[in-house]
Amino acid sequence: MPPDQWNAVALDSQIRASSSNPVIVNDYAVALWRSASGQVNAWEDRCPHRGMRLSLGFVEGEQLRCIYHGWGYAPDGQCRQIPAHPDLTPPKTICARRHAVERRYGLIWTNLADDPQAALPDLGADEGWVAVRSIFLTGGVQEARKAVAGDLAEWDGTVSDGDVVTLEMPDGTRLAAAFQPVDAGSTGVHFVARGPAATAEGRHGLARQVVQLRNRIENN
Amino acid sequence: MTATTDPVARNEWIACGWLGQIRPGASHDTMVLGQPIRITRKAGDGYRIAEIGEDGAEGRELPVQTRYTCIFTTLGEPSRPLPEIAEFDEPDRIVVGCGNVGVNTSPYRLVENFLDMAHFSFIHVDTLGATDKTEVLAYRTEHRKDVDEIWAVDCTFFQPAASKAVKGGQMTRYQYRVMSPFSVMLYKNISEDSDRNDAICVFIQPLTETRCLAYMPMAIVDNENTAADIADFQQSIFLQDRVILENQRPALLPLDPTYELPTRADASSIAFRRWLKAMDIRFGIYEKQAA
Repeated sequence: MPPDQWNAVALDSQIRASSSNPVIVNDYAVALWRSASGQVNAWEDRCPHRGMRLSLGFVEGEQLRCIYHGWGYAPDGQCRQIPAHPDLTPPKTICARRHAVERRYGLIWTNLADDPQAALPDLGADEGWVAVRSIFLTGGVQEARKAVAGDLAEWDGTVSDGDVVTLEMPDGTRLAAAFQPVDAGSTGVHFVARGPAATAEGRHGLARQVVQLRNRIENN
Repeated sequence: MTATTDPVARNEWIACGWLGQIRPGASHDTMVLGQPIRITRKAGDGYRIAEIGEDGAEGRELPVQTRYTCIFTTLGEPSRPLPEIAEFDEPDRIVVGCGNVGVNTSPYRLVENFLDMAHFSFIHVDTLGATDKTEVLAYRTEHRKDVDEIWAVDCTFFQPAASKAVKGGQMTRYQYRVMSPFSVMLYKNISEDSDRNDAICVFIQPLTETRCLAYMPMAIVDNENTAADIADFQQSIFLQDRVILENQRPALLPLDPTYELPTRADASSIAFRRWLKAMDIRFGIYEKQAA
């Protein structure tokens, strides 16, 4: 049973409209796709027909289509078209496996539990968060969280350790690091920021500092 | 992996090399069903195949047959002979070997991809399929009990460029034939003469449950193109399929019909899976973890 837990899986700005993308959470493959109108979906990365990875599929309007046979799936998971049989209404049983997905704080979050009850981490208001940078660290999520919190403690400001590690900078900017457990040997860390430094320009400076953080951690 | 203990898989003939691959006097180490083997070419055209033990020394000698441009062996006692494919004996055909291509998936995913017409319009665009002509018309499947083979007959599909010899689109007629869990072929009518079909085989060497080499011998009716041209065409098609094959999950084949859901166009795949289930083959099959 997957844990009832929200994990950040990407920066919202990284998942483009009309694209399907592979993401791994706790060794489980997810197809993260965004429709033409901008709706985000997190599905098992497996076409129910012949097991093809849906992250290699293509988005057409509001449908995700499997690359192998072109089967088209609506955001509710239902198969709506089977090109081999243009006149056939696909049976209800043909349905992709969907997972809970949320967009908040400039991040895309997913919860793989069958019946998610847990709340998203609370970072206050949703407005104003901008994407900074995603990095990947060697090692499991506990190790990565400890290393990131430890590094941020050396920066100017106050660190709060939790599911999301945040740094309150002297100018009032908040930098947040959200963790994606990939597998035992790899963790994604997605950084977003809010406040005075979270501008189009300031974002790049923060991104450079995040890359330096990664280099310090990986060189240790 | 270690050699499979599955008697069903062990008792099949399996391609393990192609003629011309090994120089006279030389040998080549490879693997079938997880069992390391050494193929040694004798002075002439004869071959000797032996298992390689954990100590690296040659052990038990294995049976050998050479046919259809390939070398075959078996780890067990085959109940069925190598298939008869008469087209390879017709003197005016071009027989092409093509070497082999590595594909990281189970052998049955390869067989099913070969049997499948519904992907032509998406994976082989402008050659075997057209994006605006995707329909798979009804065809019949048969379990031919006398030879214990699965056939799909009366298959038709619109193809913009069905082979190296064809210019322009046409409705191509196919027959498919699964001769063993590891060998499949098709008869494809593309010539003017409706009685003369191209014969294209895929013989699969499962190195392990999820790593295979595929051999594609063909006996083609073509007066214009060279063997190299024909091989190029076939390999370009096969490389498009490989991208698909290596991205199916799981790589092992699920036989539970509720785990992967078929439609009418998959009649040949349905027949193939039923046949595998009935023979109780275990090698390369996905066993769902208990919930």
